[in-house]
Order: sequence, then C-alpha cells, then structure tokens
Amino acid sequence: MSEAVPSRLHPRIRSARDRVVGEWLRVGTQMQFYTKTLASIPDALMHYRKEVLRLIATMGLGTGALAVVGGTVAIVGFLTVTTGALVAVQGYNQLASVGVEALTGFASAFFNVRLIVPGTTSVALSATIGAGATAQLGAMRINEEIDALEVIGIRSITYLASTRVIAGVVVVIPLYCIAIIMAFLAARLGTTAIYGQGSGVYDHYFNTFLNPTDLIWSFVQVVAMTLVIMLVHTFYGFTASGGPAGVGEAVGRAVRTSMVIAAVEIALISLAVYGQSGHFNLAG
Amino acid sequence: MTTYAKPVRAMGGFFAMSLDTFVMMFKPPFAWKEYILQSWFVARVSVLPALMLTMPYSVLLVFTFNILLTEFGASDFSGTGAAIGTVNQIGPIVTVLVVSGAGATAMCADLGARTIRDEIDALRVMGINPIQTLVVPRVLAATTVALALSATVIIVGLTGAFFFCVFVQHVAAGAFVAGLTTLTGTADVIVSLVKATLFGMAAGLIACYKGISVGGGPAGVGNAVNETVVFTFMVLFAINVIVTAVGIQFTVQ
Repeated sequence: MSEAVPSRLHPRIRSARDRVVGEWLRVGTQMQFYTKTLASIPDALMHYRKEVLRLIATMGLGTGALAVVGGTVAIVGFLTVTTGALVAVQGYNQLASVGVEALTGFASAFFNVRLIVPGTTSVALSATIGAGATAQLGAMRINEEIDALEVIGIRSITYLASTRVIAGVVVVIPLYCIAIIMAFLAARLGTTAIYGQGSGVYDHYFNTFLNPTDLIWSFVQVVAMTLVIMLVHTFYGFTASGGPAGVGEAVGRAVRTSMVIAAVEIALISLAVYGQSGHFNLAG
Repeated sequence: MTTYAKPVRAMGGFFAMSLDTFVMMFKPPFAWKEYILQSWFVARVSVLPALMLTMPYSVLLVFTFNILLTEFGASDFSGTGAAIGTVNQIGPIVTVLVVSGAGATAMCADLGARTIRDEIDALRVMGINPIQTLVVPRVLAATTVALALSATVIIVGLTGAFFFCVFVQHVAAGAFVAGLTTLTGTADVIVSLVKATLFGMAAGLIACYKGISVGGGPAGVGNAVNETVVFTFMVLFAINVIVTAVGIQFTVQ
C-alpha cells in the first residue's frame, strides 16, 4: 500500500545543504560531549574514584599484547629513545658538516625539549592510551554495554569518559618524565659512545643550554595535549557504530583526528609561550 | 611458558606471512583491481590529514630553528633549516604516521571483520589464496601511496615554512629559497623517498598480519587495530633511526 511521494524541489541544493548542516551539527555534538565530559570530572573524582584508580593502573601497563611488550611506559620510552638517537645521528653529522659538532649537546637540550619530545609523546599517547580507550569504548558500544550502564542508573559519560580523561592526565606526568630522560640519555649515548665526542664537551653545552623554564612549559604542553587526545578518543569510541569493522574504523579516525589536533596545539602553545623573544639567550 | 611463547609465535607468523607476500607478489595473476581500489582508498583517507599534520610540524620546526638563527644573526639561513628538517625527518615521518594511522587501521579493521566472520577461511576453502588476492594488493597500495604522499608532504611542508618565515617572521623570500639547497641535495631526497617506501611497506604488512590473525569478536578487532597503530609506530621509528644513520654517510660530506 505504498503511496507515490512527489519529489521535492531542488534535490541537489537540498542534499548539499543537508551535508553542510550535518557537518556543523557533528561539530556541535562533539563540543557538547567534550563539555559534558569536562564538567563531569569533579563528579567522577567524587563518586567513581575506584574506577579512576583502576584505569590509571591499566593505562600505565596497557592491556593484551601491549602489556607483553612492556606496556605504555615501554612503548613511549622506546619511541623517545629512537628520536633521541635521531638527534645524535642527524644533529651530530649535520653540525659536523659545518664544523661545529661540539654543539650537539646544545641541539639535544634545545630541540628535544621544544620540538621532538612533545611531538613524539603526542603521537605515542594517541597510539597507546588513546587508541586503547577508543577500542574499549567502541567494543562496549557495539555490545550495547553502554546502554546497559545507562539502564542500571550509572552516568555513562562520567563513568566511562571523564574517568579516562582524568586517568590519562595523571598517567602522562610520570610518563613524560621517562620520555624526556630517555631522549636525553639516547642523544648523549649516541653522541659520546657511538660518534666518539668527549663527554665533557657534550655535557658542557648540554648543561649550559638546558633551560628549566622550557622544561616546565613542555610539561604544560604535554598535559594540555593529553587532555585533548583523551577527549577525542573517548568521543570516537563512545559514538562507534557499524559492528566489529566500525570499532576498527573509529580507532583509525580517532588516531588521525587526535594527531592533527595535538600537532596544531603544540604549535600554537609554542608560538604563544616563546613568541617573538624566543626565551633564548646564546650567552647562557 | 605460554606467556613467552605467544609473542614469539606472533613474530614467527608475521615473518611467515611477509615471506609469503613477497613470493606471491611476483606470481601471476596479480590482483590489479583490488590494488587500484586499495591505493585510491588509502590515498583518499590519507591526503587531507597528512597535509593538516605537516603544516603545524613544519611551522613549529622553522619557528624553533629561527629563534636560534636570529640569535646568531643568521636568519637568512632559515631555509636551510627548514629543508633539513622537512626533507629528512618531517616528510617521511608525517607521511607514514598518517598512512599507518588512517590507511593501515582501516585495512586492519576491514580484514579483521572478515576474519572473525570466517570469510578468509571461506576464501581458502574455495581455493583462493587470501595472501595473493587480499594481502599483496594492500601491502603494495600502502607502499605506493606512502611514496607518492611523502613527496606531496615535503612540498607542502616547505611551502608552509616559506609562508610562515616570509610573512610572519620577515625573512627575505629570496634568501629563504636560496638557502633551501645549501645542505640538502638530491641524495637527501632519495634517502627520504626510500624511507617513505620502507615505512609504507612495513605499515601494510603489519596491518594485514594483525587483520588476518584477529580473534575474539568486536573487542578483538578494536584491540588488533590498536596494536597495529602501536607496532607500526614502533617499527617506523626504529627503521627511521637505522636508515638515517646509514643514509647520512652518503648525504653529508
């Protein structure tokens, strides 16, 4: 008993408009989710403290096959070791080509803190704790566990998203200490042990140019980045749809989005903090 | 015992599949249609994020480098720094972060979903080799797109650096362009393209292995994708250090 529906006027303009409006609404839904997640953080700290502690423990160690290779700590450590070694390889040789390889220690103190370690950590975080959160939440959504939580009266955003954001920010602080120490050690070891520079030369320039204020700012950068990474990843997990493949796609989309947003964030914070003056004095 | 045997077995399985893939690559019939579809798919999901990721990183690089150069009074050389950083490191790394973050995850999710629905086994039953029809085209697609994308990323990164230096930091445009080739030559570009190719291939292989060895329902697929991202990033950073250390012997006099 189907009726013939008359076609509407201007179907193409209509569909183009719907697409634009749809995108705009999606941004709005995301914003709403982020605001709700951030606003529920005190609630999560008060009522779901046990869940927060559990998440901190699992995020530090990772789950499944990731725990076998040493968990988040080992992965972040490994990635920053390789980028620290890169400072030794690229920095030492490039500086040697203009005859100032003595300044490799300076390159480690300057570029590691301002550029390389925050960048690497952002990528590592979105791959480990971020993607892990998306995979978990996505699987819960597909299995209708999130709806079940709502039915038994648990505030799902507070219980699942806010707790993960808190846990991520708590975990990243010791994680970043390890990351930056690993990068410094790898750069020093590469330059002194492999390329054979005197460790006194390296240490002199490294200690002269290592600026504690820069380190603190890079900490601020990383904490701000973690906040955004966790928000993006929990959102994509929370709204996953389309069966098993949908969970995988949500993980991919979340990784892609959070990497871009984190990169923009690092660049903007750097511009804001170091600005025109650059916070840098060659005289030490 | 089993906790130690599992990762070793996974490692062995990965190498066995990689070997199969390399052998099957040269055995006709080659799955052209799947290869072209996959290349188009990977390119489509990767291009926009790659360009959006390379812009902030290259701006951050020249900004940090110019602080240094201005202090020396040598800001005319900012093009040199931009070229070293973008061609040698940011170009290939950003490319593969995106190819693995966008393309490889989608491949793994797709293959994983087929695996848990037993479609891969069904192919085997019908006498079709899944390595030949599914894995080879995907690995080659990731490799091709990584190679093509890295060139684009380098160009866009340098353009972004140019605009930032010239219009925001007031470096002379001519000095910037002239400085690009001071320390960076053809050899650097070749090493950079080799890196991108190796990265793309590694990302494709890991994604396919993780995809066809999934177990345990939707949660399993999610975890497999998560592991794909982590392992590709680890492998690519390791490859990067090794290729840089070897390549720099040829590029820096």
